[in-house]
Amino acid sequence: MFRVRHVAALFFIPLYFGVTLHGESKVMASRFPFVLSGSRALPNNSALLVVAALFLIIFVSAIGCIREEDITLEQRAHQLAAQLMCPVCDGQTIDGSSAQISQDMRLKVRELLDEGQTNAEIKDYFVLRYGEDILAAPEGSGFNLLAWVVPVFIVFGGIGIALVAIKNMRKAGIQAKSSPLPAQKNGDLSDFLAQVDRDLSGPPDSLTSDQDPKSPSPANQNEEANF
Amino acid sequence: MADLGVMALLLGMALSAYSVVGSVVGEKIGMAELVVSARRAMYMTLAAATVASAALVNAFVQNDFSIKYVADHSNSLMDRAFVWVAFYSGNEGSLLYILLVLTLISVISIWFAPKRLARSMPWTIAILAAIQLFYFGVLAFVASPFELLDTVPLDGRGINPLLTHPGMFSHPPLLMGGLIAITIPFAFISGALLAGNYGDDWIDVARVLAIIAWGVLGAGMLLGAWWAYTILGWGGYWAWDPIENVALMPWLVLTAFIHSIMVQKRRGLFRMWNVALLNIAFVLAQLGMFINRGGPVVSVHSFAASTLGIIFMIFMLVSLLFAFGLFLWRMPHLKSDRVMESFMSRESAFLVNNFLFLAVMAVTLWGVLFPLFSDLARDVSVSVAAPYFDRANGPVLLGIVVMMGIGPLLPWRKASARSLKQWFIWPTLTGAVTIGTLLALGVDRPIAIFAFGVVAFVAASILEEWWRGTAARHRSGDNWAMSWWRLVNGNRPRHGGYIVHISILMLGLGIIGTNFYQQRTDGALELGQSLVIDNYRIEYVDNGSSNRPDRIAQWAEMSVYRIDEDDYVVEFETARADGATGFTLEDSSMRANDELLGGIEPWHGFYVDFNMASVRSGIRSTIVEDLYVIPRDFLADGRVSLAVSINPLAWWLWASGPFFIIGTMVALWPQAAVERRPTMKKIQASAEGEN
Repeated sequence: MFRVRHVAALFFIPLYFGVTLHGESKVMASRFPFVLSGSRALPNNSALLVVAALFLIIFVSAIGCIREEDITLEQRAHQLAAQLMCPVCDGQTIDGSSAQISQDMRLKVRELLDEGQTNAEIKDYFVLRYGEDILAAPEGSGFNLLAWVVPVFIVFGGIGIALVAIKNMRKAGIQAKSSPLPAQKNGDLSDFLAQVDRDLSGPPDSLTSDQDPKSPSPANQNEEANF
Repeated sequence: MADLGVMALLLGMALSAYSVVGSVVGEKIGMAELVVSARRAMYMTLAAATVASAALVNAFVQNDFSIKYVADHSNSLMDRAFVWVAFYSGNEGSLLYILLVLTLISVISIWFAPKRLARSMPWTIAILAAIQLFYFGVLAFVASPFELLDTVPLDGRGINPLLTHPGMFSHPPLLMGGLIAITIPFAFISGALLAGNYGDDWIDVARVLAIIAWGVLGAGMLLGAWWAYTILGWGGYWAWDPIENVALMPWLVLTAFIHSIMVQKRRGLFRMWNVALLNIAFVLAQLGMFINRGGPVVSVHSFAASTLGIIFMIFMLVSLLFAFGLFLWRMPHLKSDRVMESFMSRESAFLVNNFLFLAVMAVTLWGVLFPLFSDLARDVSVSVAAPYFDRANGPVLLGIVVMMGIGPLLPWRKASARSLKQWFIWPTLTGAVTIGTLLALGVDRPIAIFAFGVVAFVAASILEEWWRGTAARHRSGDNWAMSWWRLVNGNRPRHGGYIVHISILMLGLGIIGTNFYQQRTDGALELGQSLVIDNYRIEYVDNGSSNRPDRIAQWAEMSVYRIDEDDYVVEFETARADGATGFTLEDSSMRANDELLGGIEPWHGFYVDFNMASVRSGIRSTIVEDLYVIPRDFLADGRVSLAVSINPLAWWLWASGPFFIIGTMVALWPQAAVERRPTMKKIQASAEGEN
């Protein structure tokens, strides 16, 4: 059975390939279809959606692989203990604290697990006896739902504001400039793709970025000189 | 000694007050001499703070228990090395320490301030002096470390045992120093705004000062995590404790700032935004000071509740009003004249990353304050601890890591489709292959697998850029190491940033490993028994104890063996049937494939005077995982009860530290001190090589 530490070493293998293959197969590489295109790619680019969907599929399908049976009762006991606060300590869970009451509570958790109770039932057991503040995180219902909803608004609101701000700043930029690039004008990628095809049919040498004088790079070097 | 200290504090207070008034009045009536004398008064506050600190240190060294603070925080048995720790281990002393740091860095930064900021310096000095005035005042009248006792005790109470660890020599001073250091860039920017100096003159100074504060704060937090992991026996390194959170929040905002200040520097954008970020960071630092001093939230860290809480709350509110009042007043002058050109540009990526940082900050703040709201709104107390923050912040933090890969690959202004394709293909592939490999290997925890993929993506993006830049230079004749070094030196802020990014990725590995794949078991061992978890066997070989006047210490000597699980099939099956992760072996005879790895010595001390236990975990650390043994208790029947865990990838958490520091230093190193400007020929050569 594989465990993560066996895999941790493997983790660097792709990196290794990423670096070594790099020089040789740039032509191959540039044919991969899922790369974003165009400077206005973000709002209406189907390639991006495909990538996002791919990731989502991998992600969601993998969630099905988690099975509760794989986790021993003891592991579950620790996970639960990490979700229950020690009533007499300042801000520690019973999993971390060595206080007597924490030990008793850990034993109780184990006892209830052995009886076959679910995590939710065990939490309820402690809430009934110690009050809501025994839970290390508020339950997502009633007033406490606020604790969970507000972060969602913060995050999406924040990203939304950022995107709107960029859009506004861009609009000002487009108005200030008279000639936007073709790809920006109609959001149509055909011109660009044709250009790519032309480029690809050229001699391979011109595609290696390090030698192609026209290819822009993030480390655009005249800018780099005095960062 | 006490008198000298009090006099120094009062003198410092007078000097600070004079410096505030002198700067403002001198500037208003145009009296240059007054402004200069105010600046010199500012320099003298450093002398006052130093004398006060020296007086306190001297009192510790001389065991002057007539001073209450000394009697409370040390005793005659204390190792003299811990005088430094005892100095800031209590409320009053730590305030004095903060004041000392504040005066020191104020004076240094004013002394070295560039000439072009001369017009705004009086205002900067006034702001700094006003903050110093507050601290001098608090120390002189509210929380004096020089308060005398009516009856002098024979011996002091001793130092808090949790603090007698090498980590304490640096963690608290770095953390407090980092928090107070945020004041300096804030004072420089606010000074410029007050003086009506709306240009970009302050960018470089603010950037350097902010990175210093940010680096110090970051190093302090990392050391704190290390300290918690090795000594506190919490079994963890970051608990999302309120005090940890209030240090994290300004750090996050500063992180946003040091990214977006580059946009202002390079593109002239985000001026207003940068001022706002620094204001937020400053106010959050004041919130941290307030919560640290008897604020309203429960924490393992806080100093005993005291009347200081209300004073620091008022100071925080004043800071808030001042910072944002000034901001709103000057806002019309801060508009940038430049425009954003594209979504697909580094500046827009930086803006998104800024908002993500602010989002983590806001969510954390919400989590810290939610118990208060709950109390006020419906009189029910709730706890908001690690499980909440893990779930609420985890995804956003992952998003930040994703942006860490995307942002640097985008060029300024606008990315062409061509460059996007060129630069993203390898990182994306690497990430995807990593995810695929992990899935194919049957690793569980999809969220963790995805996170590993993200880490690989970012790592590949950094390596890709280094690879290309180095290869280009290599072709022009340098050897590989030299090429890389030249690349880094050519643009230190950028490549220093990459080194820090690598440290963040290492941190990420550790966080993913320990959060998703940790294995735990508890057990109590008699001498000669073994505890088996996964493929480790821990044998309880011997124990020892020592009784000292201040503490009763016990420790266990344990041998760690690597075992072959096939030798223990029966036991493992029985244990799993019982729902246990590990099991205890009665006899410790070796089996065929047992291999001795080494010894650990978990230590448990009980401090009688403090009624407080302190443990040192036994840790066997490798690059892939830590075997982590906390001695919970030495039981009366001779057994030792242990909490044992395997923390995968924990090593990476601490390995990230040096990278963080080196990267920060590289980013800070003045560019002017680099080798002479390359000749025209060289420029052309490298331009050809690079493009």
